[in-house]
Amino acid sequence: MKLTTKQLTLCALLTAMALALSYLENLFPLTLAIPVPGVKLGLANIVTIFALYALGPGEALLILLARCFLGSLFAGNMNALIFSLLGGLSALGTMVLLSRRRGLSLYGVSIGGAAAHNCGQIAAALLTLGSTAPLYYLPVLLAVSLLTGGLTGLAAACLFRGLRHTDLMKG
Amino acid sequence: MRPSPRLRPTVWDGLVVLCVAALALGLAFFQWRGGTSQALTAVVSVDGTEIDRVSLDRAAGEKTYRAGDYTLTVEYAAGSARVLSSNCPTQDCVHTGSVTRGGQSVVCLPGRFILRLEGGTPDPDAVDAVLG
Amino acid sequence: MKRLTVSVLLLALLLSGCGAQMSPDEAQESIQVIAMDTAMLITTYGERSPAAAYACEDTIRDLEKQLSRTLEDSDVSRLNASGGEPVEVGEDLGVLLELARYYHGSTGGAFNIAIAPVVSAWGFTEDSFRVPSQAELDGLLELVQGPSYIGPRSSGGAICYSLAPGQAIDLGGIAKGYAADKIVKVLQEHDVPRANINLGGNVLAYGDRPDGAPWRVGIQDPARADEQNAFAGVLELTDSFAVTSGGYQRYFEEGGKRYHHIIDPATGYPADSGLSSVTVVAGLGEGGGFPGTMCDAYSTALFIMGEEQALDFWRDETQWEEQGCPFELVLVTEDGRVMVTEGLADRFTLEETSGYTLEVVSR
Repeated sequence: MKLTTKQLTLCALLTAMALALSYLENLFPLTLAIPVPGVKLGLANIVTIFALYALGPGEALLILLARCFLGSLFAGNMNALIFSLLGGLSALGTMVLLSRRRGLSLYGVSIGGAAAHNCGQIAAALLTLGSTAPLYYLPVLLAVSLLTGGLTGLAAACLFRGLRHTDLMKG
Repeated sequence: MRPSPRLRPTVWDGLVVLCVAALALGLAFFQWRGGTSQALTAVVSVDGTEIDRVSLDRAAGEKTYRAGDYTLTVEYAAGSARVLSSNCPTQDCVHTGSVTRGGQSVVCLPGRFILRLEGGTPDPDAVDAVLG
Repeated sequence: MKRLTVSVLLLALLLSGCGAQMSPDEAQESIQVIAMDTAMLITTYGERSPAAAYACEDTIRDLEKQLSRTLEDSDVSRLNASGGEPVEVGEDLGVLLELARYYHGSTGGAFNIAIAPVVSAWGFTEDSFRVPSQAELDGLLELVQGPSYIGPRSSGGAICYSLAPGQAIDLGGIAKGYAADKIVKVLQEHDVPRANINLGGNVLAYGDRPDGAPWRVGIQDPARADEQNAFAGVLELTDSFAVTSGGYQRYFEEGGKRYHHIIDPATGYPADSGLSSVTVVAGLGEGGGFPGTMCDAYSTALFIMGEEQALDFWRDETQWEEQGCPFELVLVTEDGRVMVTEGLADRFTLEETSGYTLEVVSR
C-alpha cells in the first residue's frame, strides 16, 4: 500500500491517540468494578474502528501493530505483547469481516470486535500459562464485551457524526 | 472514499449481540456442567501413562490389562470398579476391593498400575486423603 | 425504545454471565506417581496447577534417585556399598543424615536409620520374609548400636560420609517426609493456593479446600486395615503435615504369629508397644525447619516407644524449642482406645462405627 503524506500523518496521529487512550483507561481500571482479570473498556478499539472505516484495513493493521509494540515497550513488559497482539489481531480481523456486512452498524462491528479481542487474550493466556484455567473467565469477559463494545461503538458513532462534514473523511 | 459506516443500531447488530451472548452462556453452561457433575470415570494408567478411560455410567463388563510383567482383570460396574484378579505377588490391588467415588484409586505397585476414579458428585463429608 | 430494550438485554446478560462464573481456584491438576515404593497422589489448584504438579513429581523423582536403597547408583546405595570408605554425598542426603542424627538423639535411639541390616534380615527389603535367629540378630544389632555413620567431612569442597563395614542405612522412615518439606517450597514458587499431597501415608494438607473447609484426612482403622473408608477418626487440617505409622501396613505371618515391619532397634524384633498406629501432625511452620521430615521420623519412633513414653515425649517442651515446630499426636492402642493430644482435640472426630473410646490428653 502506498501512503500519501496526509494518510501517513493521520496514521501517526491515530497511533499516538491509541497509546494515549490505552494509558488513560489504565488510570481508571474497570477491574475495580468487575473483579475479573482482563476486563477493560478497550478505548483503543475506537481508534481501530475509526482507522478501519476512514483509512482501510491495511492502515488499521499498521496502527494496531505500532500500538501493540510501542505499548508493551513503554510498559516495559514484553510479556504483555503476546496478549495485546493476539487480542488486537483477532479484534481487527473480526471487525474487517463484519464491516463488509452492509446491514451492520458501528455497534455490531464494535461488539463483535470486543468479543473477539477477549477470545484472543484468553488464547494468549492459554498459551503462556499452559493451563485451561483462564477459560473460566471467558463467559464473563464475553458478557462484559457486550457492554464495552456497545460503548466504544457509541463513541465511534459520535466521532463519525462529528467528522461527517470535514475533509478528513474525503480521502 | 470508503463507504461511510452506519451510525444507528440495526436489527443485524442484535444478531451479533445474540451470537456473543449465546457463546458466553454456552461456555458458562459447559463449565458449570463439567465442573460439578462430571460423570464418574475410571482412568487407568501404567507406569505413568494413561492407557484407558472407562465411563461408569453403566456397567462395562470386564477388561484385561498388561502392567509390566503382570496381567490384571478389572470389572467395571455401574458406579464402581474393582480389580477382579491379578497375578502380581502382593495381591494388594485385589484386596483393595471396589472403589466408588471420585478421587479413590486402586494401585498395583509391582505392576506400576493405577486405576483412579474421576468426576462423580462431590460429597463434602467425604475424606480427601487417607493416612496409613 | 429499541435502545432501551438493547441496554436491558445487555445488563441481563452481564449479570447472568457473572452468576455462572467459576473461580480460577477450581482449576486443578491431579497426578499419580509411583515412587519411593509407594503410590503418591498429587492434587494442586490454581492457574499454574499443571506446572506445579509436575514440578512436585520432578522433586520426588530427583530425591528417589539420590535416596533409594534399591537403585544401585544412588548416593545411599554407594554409601551402603562403600565398605568403610568415605563417600561424597549430595546436599539432600547430607541434610537428611544430620536430621536423622538429631532425631536419633532426641528419641533416645528409637529412630535409627542404621537399622537397615536388621530390617533386611527379616526380609522386608526384598519381600522374602523370614524370622531370623537370635544369634543373627545379636550380631546385626551390634552394627546398629555401634558407632553410627561418620561425617560430614569436607574434602575438596565435597561433603563426605562414611559407614563402618557391614553397616547400612535406610531412609524409608524419613525420605517421604523430607519430600513433603521440599514440595511445600515448590507449591510456594508456583503460587499454588491449595493442594492435597499424599505421599503414601505422608499427607500434606496445603491451604484449605476449594469450598473453604479444612481438608478432611481420615486415619485408617488399624483393626480394619483391608477395608476402604474404615477410619479410626477424621482430622480436619489446613496447612499441616500428618504422617501415620502402624504395624498393620506391612507384615507377614509365620507359625501363627504376626511380624510387622517397624523394627525396635533395642531388640531387633518388631516393636510390641501396645500401639497399633501413631499419627504425628505439625503445622507448615515459618519456612526453615523440616516439620514434614520430623513428623515422618517421629511417627515411627513414637510407635516403637509406646503410649507412655510417646506422651511424655510430646509433653517435653524442650523438644519443641530445639526443633522449632510443635507437634500433636493421635495414638490408636491395641486395646481399643484413641488418644488425641489437646492441640488436636477440636480438629479430630472419632468415627462412631469404629468402636474406639476417645481420650483427650492434656499437657
